Amino acid sequence: MPNISFSFRDFQQLLGKKLSIGEFKDLVALYAKGEVEGFENDEVKVALDDTNMPYLWCAEGMARFFRGVLGKEKGLAEIKVGRGNYEIVVDKSVKAIRPHIAAFVAEGREIDEYLLKQLIQLQDKMDEGYGRKRKHLSIGVYSHRNIAFPVRYTAVDPKGISFVPLEMAQKLTPAQILKMHPKGRQYGWILGSFSRYPLLIDSRREVLSLVPITNSDFTGKLRVGDKELLFEATGIDSEAVNLAANIFAQNLFERGFKITAVKIKDSKSFTTPVDFNEKMRISREDVESRIGIKLSASRLRQLLEKARYGVSGNIVTVPNYRADILHKFDIVEDVAIMYGFDRIEGIPLTSYTAGSPAGMSVFVDKIREIVCGLGFQEILSPVLSSRKVLEGNMGISGSGVVEIDNFMSETFSAVRNWLSPILMEVLSKNKHNDFPQKIFEQGTVNIRKGNVIEDKEHIALASSHTNSGFTEAKQYLDALFSSLNLRYSIQPHDSAVFIKGRGGRVKAGGVDIGIIGEVSPEVLLNWGLELPAVLLELDLTALNNIIS
Amino acid sequence: MVSMEDVIAGLHRLERAVLPALLKHSSVYDIGSAAGLKEVEVLRGIRWLRDKKLADVKEAEVDFVELDELGRAYAREGLPEVRFLEALKAGKLGLDSLMQKAKLSRDEVNASIGLLKRNGWISINKGLVFEITVQGRDKLSKGFDEYHLLRGRFPLKVEDVAAASLDNLVSRRILRISKKKLVTAALTALGRKIASSSALKEDAVDRLTPEMIKSGSWSKLRSYNLEAPVPKVFLGKKQPYRRFLEEVRSRLVALGFREMSGPVVESEFWNMDALFMPQFHSARDIHDVYYVKEPKFADNLPKKIVENVRRAHERGIPGSRGWRYKFDYKKTARLVLRSQDTSISPRTLSSEDLQIPGKYFQIARCFRYDVIDATHNADFDQIGGFVVGEQLNLRHLFGLLRLFAREFCGTDEVKVVPSYFPFTEPSAALYAKHPALGWIELAGAGIFRPEMTVPLGVDKPVIAWGIGLGRVAMFKLGLKDIRQLYSHDLEYLRAAKV
Repeated sequence: MPNISFSFRDFQQLLGKKLSIGEFKDLVALYAKGEVEGFENDEVKVALDDTNMPYLWCAEGMARFFRGVLGKEKGLAEIKVGRGNYEIVVDKSVKAIRPHIAAFVAEGREIDEYLLKQLIQLQDKMDEGYGRKRKHLSIGVYSHRNIAFPVRYTAVDPKGISFVPLEMAQKLTPAQILKMHPKGRQYGWILGSFSRYPLLIDSRREVLSLVPITNSDFTGKLRVGDKELLFEATGIDSEAVNLAANIFAQNLFERGFKITAVKIKDSKSFTTPVDFNEKMRISREDVESRIGIKLSASRLRQLLEKARYGVSGNIVTVPNYRADILHKFDIVEDVAIMYGFDRIEGIPLTSYTAGSPAGMSVFVDKIREIVCGLGFQEILSPVLSSRKVLEGNMGISGSGVVEIDNFMSETFSAVRNWLSPILMEVLSKNKHNDFPQKIFEQGTVNIRKGNVIEDKEHIALASSHTNSGFTEAKQYLDALFSSLNLRYSIQPHDSAVFIKGRGGRVKAGGVDIGIIGEVSPEVLLNWGLELPAVLLELDLTALNNIIS
Repeated sequence: MVSMEDVIAGLHRLERAVLPALLKHSSVYDIGSAAGLKEVEVLRGIRWLRDKKLADVKEAEVDFVELDELGRAYAREGLPEVRFLEALKAGKLGLDSLMQKAKLSRDEVNASIGLLKRNGWISINKGLVFEITVQGRDKLSKGFDEYHLLRGRFPLKVEDVAAASLDNLVSRRILRISKKKLVTAALTALGRKIASSSALKEDAVDRLTPEMIKSGSWSKLRSYNLEAPVPKVFLGKKQPYRRFLEEVRSRLVALGFREMSGPVVESEFWNMDALFMPQFHSARDIHDVYYVKEPKFADNLPKKIVENVRRAHERGIPGSRGWRYKFDYKKTARLVLRSQDTSISPRTLSSEDLQIPGKYFQIARCFRYDVIDATHNADFDQIGGFVVGEQLNLRHLFGLLRLFAREFCGTDEVKVVPSYFPFTEPSAALYAKHPALGWIELAGAGIFRPEMTVPLGVDKPVIAWGIGLGRVAMFKLGLKDIRQLYSHDLEYLRAAKV
């Protein structure tokens, strides 16, 4: 979820209209799929839901959008791109590494501190979120005063060249930058597997940047007061790269800069920013079927233009700063938003459908009811646990625990594969509470068997008090099975969990269905327990299969 | 006005025993001796009598004499000086044999020698050989007062012990003086009347037995004090949060929804790809989803559906250009912990059992990579589902959201605003004004993208919805910390309101 901030005064200037912060809040919620989260010293903070609309992640984009909503402008936003002699030559060595590049030049206005911050904010948001942490897309902005065109985009030997990167005092090779520069350590993984690294270098062999890691200190440091900018975006995703150039060009044009295209000399030549020229046919029927509202042709056109689409007959042109339109329904949604969600009335569903709980839910609820009737308090625990709880403290190993690769805390590093240890954990946390303690939990467990993970419903019961013993546990088992009108048998079970000769496997319908027994004193001590305890755990998935 | 007979009929066995004793005695100790009751029994009896206004009870702090550490031992084994003399009765003894015979420690011997010598009860011969004197034999036959004292009942009043003897025994850590609460009771006028009443002497019966029922001898059953506290029993009952979820389930069933289920360990295919979330989507980051260590890959993905989904991602479907990237088969099979309940929807949508029109729901435990605190759990429950039918549109979705606001929040005051989910278009969020919590975000919904449903074999519109009842549940259960939803505190669970 992108979070952005900008000056509210600046926004209103770009909007061409004065708004109260309250009005702005309502507008954002109703039209921009977002929420105003803060407003202090003219700085407004907005959280946006949509991760595919980076053109809204800045004051310029927001203002352009709301100029449409408030009727200050309509249809496609204006932009003029001039032609010039700027050229970037793409060497084929980058093809396998990071093939795409787009660039333009913006001139004619001085960069002030606020604008610099805005540029960097959008650059960061796009690099991190939309650009997948610079892998798919990364953006560089330079003062082009120090750059001698044509610039070359090429891949070099990591030890074959050196330059002073941003925030450093000495010359480093690309290989050293990956090891020593903070950005090198942060983004080095993108280049790690390649034998050559992509570089932008000018005709005097001054390095612009090691892509996508860091700019050089000489050409790549943008300062307050700079008047001529070179923008470039590189990446492995051609659409994202061009989208970034289009968004920045549109923003800077609306800020009063003169935009000049850059010629990219690749296997074939083209200029950027590119015109996506994305067109779709939208009919009144499309809107009616998806949204349920009837619109006249002129009203539909009005709403589309309010959303800043170009309209010609029933052909809709998507603005070049948008790449989030995959299907005509994406445009239809914008029509509904411009129409106003608050004006669309809900209607009830009319078809009759019979509701029902899942079969397994009905069965486990029956069992839970019986166990409550035996005087047991139900527990509900997290499904995540740890190998220590599930195996270590129970004195066993190799029980088929499903572990998490990237766990955050050891306490929640595995999926439980049985419930008894969870109940032992509960007992260990309640030594100060009154006895007898009779508790149960019913829930999902996951058991690894080789390359398969079984998803099952289990139930476990634990009883702990001065006189708890095997007889008691078997009484519960008896009561449960007689309520189900089922027979069972118990076979001796040699497990470290139970006292020798007092633990068994429960069998029914010819299959293993659970375990029962008196907890061994070693296991009790592992849990710091001082009173005897018995456990009974049953596989309800298997039990349900026997019954049905 | 309660009659005297009723009062007598309601008296407990202990009250009946204490009452007559109170005519003559006032201290708990004396009452106990007279009535043949233990101290705790007397205390219970007089407190009940006080509650019935039959006695006045006073409490005061008083010095008492109690057995000290050595006193308790000597009360059992005898005083060391007595054991010393007893051992010499049969003849002279050296130190070692004496200690052995009298079972005395060196310290005890030393302490006794002074006392015995001072009174002239022993003589000490050369080579530390002890001999009993005539006076000693005489004393032995007469007996030691202190020993009788030790064998008596404690605590004693200070004035009941001879001052000289008390000092000696206290200094020898045989007796000690401590402060004790002295409880005394005196009959009220009514109490005196009842204590002297002959009716009190008739036997009252506590428990009805089968014999009494048979013989008809149950007329003297005493009345109970119905207000008296009783020992606790713990009942078996359902966990409060799970009960809440069950109620949600029955509401949804009542609204015509069928329950679905799906596995906790899920492939990225069902969890994300089948929802048309591109494989490079930011919510699929290593920092958002838990990946399973071993095994790493699912081996039971439906090949045909995977192919359909792959094509939709790479090239789209008619009317959509798709995400335009290279779909990774390995990634789609990667096992994760279910990160969203919507993962269950594509399983049902692609199943042969799908009913159109149909309403479906699930209550599913999901997992996200999050720091755990009062508002975040690693485990959480999501409630959601879908509605499939001919000609469903955004207005039906809005109608459904209003229905949810009424069912789960008891309100018609709602706001529906545009929202974003990767798998729906259009998408909406429902805010509802909860009577106690104020405006809360109650639900998210949308119409599944055709790029998602068509590859699963469904070309009808499908409304997807999810409701977030975490805050409502916590409010209902009176909880401040989300971790308490899965509380392991038996005291809380036992006391939880049903």
